[in-house]
Amino acid sequence: MECNDLVIGLVGSGGDGVITAGEVLVNAHASCGLYAIMLKSLGPQIRGGGSSCRVRLCENPFYSHGDRVQVLGVFNWKDFRHFKDEMLFPNSVVVIHDSDDKISEEKIPLDENIHRMTYRIPLAKLAKEKAGTTLAKNMVMLGAVAELFGLPQEEIRHTIQNRFAKKSKEVVNSNLAGFSAGSTYTRHHLKKIDNLTLKYTSSTPKVVMDGNTAIAYGALYAGCMFYAGYPITPSSEIMEWMSRELPRYGGTMIQAEDELAAIGMIIGASFAGEKAMTATSGPGFALMTEQLGLASTAELPIVIVDVQRGGPSTGIPTKTEQSDLQQALFGTHGDANRVVIAPADVADCFDVAIEAFYIAEKYQIPVIILSDQYIGQRIESFPPDMFLNRENGFRKRNKREQASEGELQDFKRFRITETGVSPLTCPGVKGGMYQAAGIEHDEYGLPSSDVEIHARMNEKRFKKNKYIAEELNFVRFYGPEDAAVGVIGWGSSKGAIEEAVLRLNDEGYPVSAVIPQILFPFAQKKMEQYLQPLKTIIIAELSYAGQFFKYLKGFMRFGDRKLKPYARSGGAPFSVEEIYETIREEF
Amino acid sequence: MSGSTLKTKYKLKDYKSTVQPIWCPGCGNFGVLNALYRALEQLQLPPEKVAVISGIGCSSRLPGYMATYGFNGVHGRILPLATGVKMAHPDITVIGTGGDGDGFSIGIGHIPHAARRNIDMTYIVMDNEIYGLTKGQLSPTSPSGDVTKTSSYGSIDRPVEPISFMLSVGASFVARGYAGNLKHLSGLMVRAIRHKGFAFIDALSPCRTFCGLEQTKRLKAQVYYLDEESEDNPRDKREARDLITRETGFACGVIYKEVRPTYDALYREIREKAQSKGIPPIANIFQRYIPNGRGTMQNALIPENAS
Repeated sequence: MECNDLVIGLVGSGGDGVITAGEVLVNAHASCGLYAIMLKSLGPQIRGGGSSCRVRLCENPFYSHGDRVQVLGVFNWKDFRHFKDEMLFPNSVVVIHDSDDKISEEKIPLDENIHRMTYRIPLAKLAKEKAGTTLAKNMVMLGAVAELFGLPQEEIRHTIQNRFAKKSKEVVNSNLAGFSAGSTYTRHHLKKIDNLTLKYTSSTPKVVMDGNTAIAYGALYAGCMFYAGYPITPSSEIMEWMSRELPRYGGTMIQAEDELAAIGMIIGASFAGEKAMTATSGPGFALMTEQLGLASTAELPIVIVDVQRGGPSTGIPTKTEQSDLQQALFGTHGDANRVVIAPADVADCFDVAIEAFYIAEKYQIPVIILSDQYIGQRIESFPPDMFLNRENGFRKRNKREQASEGELQDFKRFRITETGVSPLTCPGVKGGMYQAAGIEHDEYGLPSSDVEIHARMNEKRFKKNKYIAEELNFVRFYGPEDAAVGVIGWGSSKGAIEEAVLRLNDEGYPVSAVIPQILFPFAQKKMEQYLQPLKTIIIAELSYAGQFFKYLKGFMRFGDRKLKPYARSGGAPFSVEEIYETIREEF
Repeated sequence: MSGSTLKTKYKLKDYKSTVQPIWCPGCGNFGVLNALYRALEQLQLPPEKVAVISGIGCSSRLPGYMATYGFNGVHGRILPLATGVKMAHPDITVIGTGGDGDGFSIGIGHIPHAARRNIDMTYIVMDNEIYGLTKGQLSPTSPSGDVTKTSSYGSIDRPVEPISFMLSVGASFVARGYAGNLKHLSGLMVRAIRHKGFAFIDALSPCRTFCGLEQTKRLKAQVYYLDEESEDNPRDKREARDLITRETGFACGVIYKEVRPTYDALYREIREKAQSKGIPPIANIFQRYIPNGRGTMQNALIPENAS
């Protein structure tokens, strides 16, 4: 039976090459034009420990990682026990494991009501014999999987070649030999007992990227020339990308001594006239909150990326959650204005990063990008169109506007204007000298404890929100506009929500969904418009305490509509199924 | 001495803002401020090319009294701000000004990093051995035994010794001055600003209001001046350490100086290294992430540092 949507899970020990195998699959299929996604999961140890990945392949667009693993490749069963809770299986699953792993089919540690179809292959032996090393086990497994399910073997071979091109020819050949050994053995020795065959039509190759890379690239594209940060899972890849790329383009990247220094440095760089960014996760952001208020009061553009992870406190560094929302919206003392924006998938990260700099620079305000581990560290393929022709219909990279000659006569750095945005200068500009400060100040920037002035300055700083919300209120909307049941979510929840809503509408259940991109200032008018026809609203989020729900209730006029919060702890991203079931209950 | 016989472009008044300092009569910070005005005048630095960065405290009000660019940041974070300014805009003269609390209590964690990186800036700590702005609490440089609002029965803390600390963390220019000696302090500032690298001045600056006349008298009595030494390498590190360990007063002058590459100079080399690998147009970077599987150099997701 042909299926055009296949989910493969691989589990093994660190060193088994599980992640490499997954990456090869994604890249090979992306080069055939398929949509592909890979999530990876590692055990707590830094070296050794377990390693698993899951790959979804489909010729049509999809928006989440695939609820259930249809094909499970296991290098050893001890490791599988650690990742078992992360994988859901359908009623019957294909299992591939080493034939030297003498486990009987019944003893395979899956739920007993899951029917298993097992293929046993001498993975390690074949790797040693044909590829010269057991390290090529993963390639043998790939060969078997490719042969069994009709995956594009030529493309996989090319991908293996490219993947190891920087190593020696021996390494390339060994890996290729492993792959061939797996597919040949399967062809000659295994009888196909399942009915899965991937159906696909090739098309133009797609881009493969993870969310962290997409954000870093978007920032560089937007003109970011200064990055300071501190390593923290799951955001470090952003800093590492900047470490390689920023100096190439004349920029500066510094690994600061801590997050307090990181945000201090980017504020200093912004004061000096450069577009500046940092990236962190929940605990690091908590450290940055004091100086967030400084940037807000000094009205300096900065971009802070928070790649959210399980919280609170140290939490679960390697898994996703959406529980930093409140910190991003309200973190810091005082009434400190800021903008919060959330990407919905990997491709969106690129756009959102450019948007973030646009807003920060135009409105002289800190902008927080709320990404999460699910988006940040997964790799997925998408069409390259978004990187082409960016000047049409997309915001151009804006240059920071400097104060005009006229404004420099009797220069008021914090002049109260129509939009709340005042003329800006930076060190080096003659006649533009001023003091930036966190202390309350008058229009000239001179410290003031005057009550009137404080009120006027607060008003000025918050006035910007009206203009930001008017100019930038992008919202994703799915389903029919007149549906009576609707879902609201934000950030990475978009994936499962979109798929669930599409599926339900296909089945004849009219349901809509709205995913706002800018969370603050909230596009309240637009959102209320979308929610007009709804009688039941489901609010889905990965936050046990229901942060998004509480936030919405604060200012949305829901009237007497039925509100159904679906708020749970993070760790595992939403499955399409759970969203589907939650919505389906309303019919 | 300040070049009054020469035709100079910038006069003292060009560095002064119109704001009146909030400091008390007898405050040592007036001396530090005036020394800084004189130093800038002597150096003839254009005011728009100078950025004075401060934290929180009486001394951190200083940028407001300058007609240069200034940043009155939050408590303890002068050095990160200063690093950001300098690395983004290396042709700006960056001067950090703050107190002993801002620098050696909450801010002390940043000092080793700015110093070891040799960020090209001048860091002037107005050391009054007390927290003035918040009205008289214990400071990390308060002498042991001092009775303050938060050491009601006498301080049991051993104080931080700024000079030793700076020597240990790799500062390339370490000096001490006294607010009561304008000419000497100003000279130190000129040398510190001229120094390419992280230059530190511990500027003893009495707080008349919270430490009384006794402190002013004590500091004046304990201050002594090191011999005028040559501009280069007055003494090596061991000699400098010995001097500080042995001292029974406050040695004033340039205690230690070395010349080594500044952080921005080193980073310029990094840029050259990065650029030698080629500079693809930013708009084309995405092509690197398209796997074409055809075995050309368009490689997909090869870890950048794969050997």
